[in-house]
Amino acid sequence: MKPISRMGYEESRDELVEVVRQLEQGGLDLDASLKLWERGEELAKRCEEHLAGARAKVEKALASRDDEEA
Amino acid sequence: MVWIEGQLTELKLRGTTAWMVLRDPAADMSLSVSCPRDLVAAAPVPLSEGTQVIMLGRPQFYTRNGSFSLRISEIRAVGIGELLARIDRLRKLLDAEGLFDPRLKRPIPFLPNTIGLITGRASAAERDVISVAGDRWPAVHFAVRNTVVQGPNAVPQIVEALRELDGDPDVDVIVVARGGGSVEDLLPFSDETLCRAIAACTTPVVSAVGHEPDNPLCDLVADVRAATPTDAAKRVVPDAAAEQALVSDLRRRSARALRNWVHREQHTLDQLRSRPVLAQPLAALTARGEEIHRARAAARRDVTRLLTAETDRIEHLSARLATLGPSATLARGYSVVQIVSNSMTVLRSTKDAPAGTRLRIRVADGAITTLSEGSDEAH
Repeated sequence: MKPISRMGYEESRDELVEVVRQLEQGGLDLDASLKLWERGEELAKRCEEHLAGARAKVEKALASRDDEEA
Repeated sequence: MVWIEGQLTELKLRGTTAWMVLRDPAADMSLSVSCPRDLVAAAPVPLSEGTQVIMLGRPQFYTRNGSFSLRISEIRAVGIGELLARIDRLRKLLDAEGLFDPRLKRPIPFLPNTIGLITGRASAAERDVISVAGDRWPAVHFAVRNTVVQGPNAVPQIVEALRELDGDPDVDVIVVARGGGSVEDLLPFSDETLCRAIAACTTPVVSAVGHEPDNPLCDLVADVRAATPTDAAKRVVPDAAAEQALVSDLRRRSARALRNWVHREQHTLDQLRSRPVLAQPLAALTARGEEIHRARAAARRDVTRLLTAETDRIEHLSARLATLGPSATLARGYSVVQIVSNSMTVLRSTKDAPAGTRLRIRVADGAITTLSEGSDEAH
């Protein structure tokens, strides 16, 4: 399995969607589903980090532009 | 017996004899003749001074006073038809010699220094030419030569005046003017000697003899033919008032043309300057700037919307993930224990975890790894 730290946002999100779909479908034993759930938690955390980073970049860019216009 | 022809210059009746002097108009020769008085009375035309006649006579010498004359026994008038036929023959002769050639016509100056005028003394022709020319151009200057303009002496006098005026360097144009008259009156102006003298002039000659229908030969040899003396004056002298009007009109038109040109160019320039690129040079930049502004605003909106949408999506996925997993149970204080191995199986029995077994305990906020000390029952 690919280390999550090296995955981009879209890749992480798409895998998260797939994880949720598999868990909802059910039919997995406890070991597998626990492992899958932990993987999902990490993917969700990774996505949130990506989004927070992106938001920070946008805000920074907008702030510097506002400075220019002021 | 000889036939002679000439113009009567004198006619005296004395007793039963008529005494006459006959003159050759061109050759400047005279001859005395006499005849019975009855012959004069019976002449085919009334004889008077100036009449052109042909006479048949016998030379007669009066020993008493030494005079010589012709004793006339027959008088014939030179008929008008005969006169016109002679003029026509002379016209053909002169034409054949090329004296009427249009290429010989000299142009008359626009404004002559001095106008030579040959005309009868105190004649209507003289008055007409001088007054009409003076009205048109007040500064006009004339050199007038008064001559007789009919009869036997006319040709020599006119020829002399022509030569004199032609030799005057101040004279730029010569006008020969005479009012209308009978064919006989106008005879000198169809005279061969006079016609040749006019042709020989180096100064342009204007012929203004008689009225419109009269057509003496000098009209044909002259450089310009004027219908009347008044017409001659109009031709040789420009109309000062008309010229002034023409110059004024030209000045007015040229000034208007120039003003219109300036006006037109100004209009073109104004139009060019009102074009957007010149009138508002920053308009293009402003438009581009606004475009950038709009694009930036749109990008800002879009990226914010995208981030919000993705955030919602992730939150949604996290919530679903929470309900699917053991999070709620873990939150209540339960934990899940796994045997640390490749398969990471969940610990379900104490038998599976003898002392020394590495275990991973998962709780709500994470996991810890520990070593088993064996089952409680073994202590």
